[in-house]
Amino acid sequence: MMAENDVAPVDVHVRGLSHVYRTPEGPITVIDGLDLDVIGPAHVAVTGPSGAGKSTLLAVLGGLDRAQEGSITVGGIDVTSLSGDDLARYRRDTVGFVFQHYGLLGTCTALENVELALSFTGGPTRLRRARALELLDAVGLSARASHRPASLSGGEAQRVAVARALANRPRLILADEPTGNLDDDSTERILELLHALPRDVGCTLITVTHNRAVADRADRRLQLRNGRLVDESAPSRKGVA
Amino acid sequence: MSWRDAFALARRSVYRRLGRAVLTILAVTLAAALLTSLLVLAGAARTRVLNQLSKGGPLAGIQVAAAAPNLGQLDRDSPQPGPPKPLDDVALRRIRALRGVASVIAVEQAPIVVIPPTRIPRALQAVASRKPGTIQTTMIGTELQDASKLPISIISGRLPAPNAQTEVAVTETFLQRYGIGKRDAATVVGMQLEIGSPRKYAFGNVRVRGRWTKQTIVGVVAQQAANGEVLTGASSVEAARSWTAGGEQIGDSIGPDSSPYAGLFVIAAGLDQIGPVRSRITQVGYSTSAPENLINSVQRYLHVIEIVLSGIGVIALVIAGLGITNAMLASVRERRREIGVLKAIGARDRDVRHVFLLEAGLLGLAGGLLGTVGGWGIARTLGSVVNRYLSHQGLVGVQVGMPAVVALGGIVGATVLALLAGTVPAQRAAGLPARQAMGDE
Repeated sequence: MMAENDVAPVDVHVRGLSHVYRTPEGPITVIDGLDLDVIGPAHVAVTGPSGAGKSTLLAVLGGLDRAQEGSITVGGIDVTSLSGDDLARYRRDTVGFVFQHYGLLGTCTALENVELALSFTGGPTRLRRARALELLDAVGLSARASHRPASLSGGEAQRVAVARALANRPRLILADEPTGNLDDDSTERILELLHALPRDVGCTLITVTHNRAVADRADRRLQLRNGRLVDESAPSRKGVA
Repeated sequence: MSWRDAFALARRSVYRRLGRAVLTILAVTLAAALLTSLLVLAGAARTRVLNQLSKGGPLAGIQVAAAAPNLGQLDRDSPQPGPPKPLDDVALRRIRALRGVASVIAVEQAPIVVIPPTRIPRALQAVASRKPGTIQTTMIGTELQDASKLPISIISGRLPAPNAQTEVAVTETFLQRYGIGKRDAATVVGMQLEIGSPRKYAFGNVRVRGRWTKQTIVGVVAQQAANGEVLTGASSVEAARSWTAGGEQIGDSIGPDSSPYAGLFVIAAGLDQIGPVRSRITQVGYSTSAPENLINSVQRYLHVIEIVLSGIGVIALVIAGLGITNAMLASVRERRREIGVLKAIGARDRDVRHVFLLEAGLLGLAGGLLGTVGGWGIARTLGSVVNRYLSHQGLVGVQVGMPAVVALGGIVGATVLALLAGTVPAQRAAGLPARQAMGDE
């Protein structure tokens, strides 16, 4: 489906990561001295109950939130030392996000949504359009390129979101409950699409889910428990450091 | 993200929330229309008032009399002239060469005798309260192609053609000899007069012979160029002067002035040059008059009125600007997820800021354009209502013109104000932490 070995594999190393939410009722520690090592390309699933800190972990890994304590290294980049434009560049060039709510802009067509991610890197409009069409074709939606998100099904919208996440050839894809709003058929199709990425594109995929069936598709399954990750997969599986 | 991409995104956002955008644009439109119409009307009123002061001539006009300056009255607008002093071509050239002088128009005079027609037209009979006999007066002449630079305004009809030998215009004073009011000025247009230039002969008893021409009144004017009731082209007056000057100098009741020119009308290079040019002409040795002090005082009052009117318009624009701020803040609140997504896919803070600023700028630009056009329309409508009233009163109407600076100011001002109004929302959007924006959903 995707071009073979599109990007160089990336390793993820997290050491002593902690994250505390300050609330009027008192501090809530969601991540507490977490360590993680992922050798790419791999598909890693992080499970855990609601409020366990799965999305927080993903946000910190993707540079959407700052690590309060600890260190994160992605492909040799010290994410915790980045700020401002450097952090934006990291999100643009290294990371691709897939959200449960798709995160598509309602004012843009499917094609424009994919192109939007490319607009931050610059380059000629003609090349950006060609790349966006190529990606929509790869997720089987070239016929819906001119459709706005409102006229797409949940599964189609999520495929557009996957195409957009791949636009800048990221080495790390972070998917936050990617099938949370989808029916069974769409879930299966999205899971196939995502699971093939490490193999076809060469990137590392970290999926956060509370759906065990989704987690079972991953090379490695981790559970976030009491702020730390517990490896639930067999040691021989791919992606285990 | 390039400005072009940011603009495309901003444009889409405006279209997406069209209802709110239309209301916001409407607020800016109304404010810009108010500001524009007030400024246009204020400008028209200023022109009208100043034209009235300058009697239809250019504002920077200075009258030079064929007289020496009265040194005790130099600071007055209309000083009493000193003793007569011939105004000839040498003086004309010296004054024309002075610094700050844009142009000089010579005005000539000749004594004339006017014999009204024996059969007064019926229309004229209906409005005239008396029938004058032979009139002894003065004919003034100038280069009529430059009449627009002289303090001459047409009340009825038109000016004589520049080279015509049989056309004259008469003044309101001439109408008063018939007891005709300004409203009925049109009734004398087309009337024929016999005009004679007198020449004295000394044969026994002193005798006077006339050089008679038939002239048609083509217009009625109000003029301050020189003293005289009949206005015509320079060549006609020169011919009349030559004829009269050919007579013998007997007594002083009839005869041409010793000065070749009755006066000069000097136009300064600008209102600020009137004072200096008057001083320089005084140094050349001639008496001048100009409504300099009056215009300055009136301009000061008009300026105050303009400041007040502009203030009202600007207050309206500021209120509209607050409307933009409010609409944009609401937009930021609604679009937190969109902002989070933009940041997640690589947008920098300044990219987000640009999108929101351009959105505000678009609203301001659209409102400014519509408001300026609307304001122009309102001003024209009001101007035509005012002109109907003035016309009914027998007065000259106002010219409602749209100065480029007002048009440009309306559009640019509204856009800049919108950009300023959008600064806080844009900054808030740009500073929104990505995770917080995403997590609020």
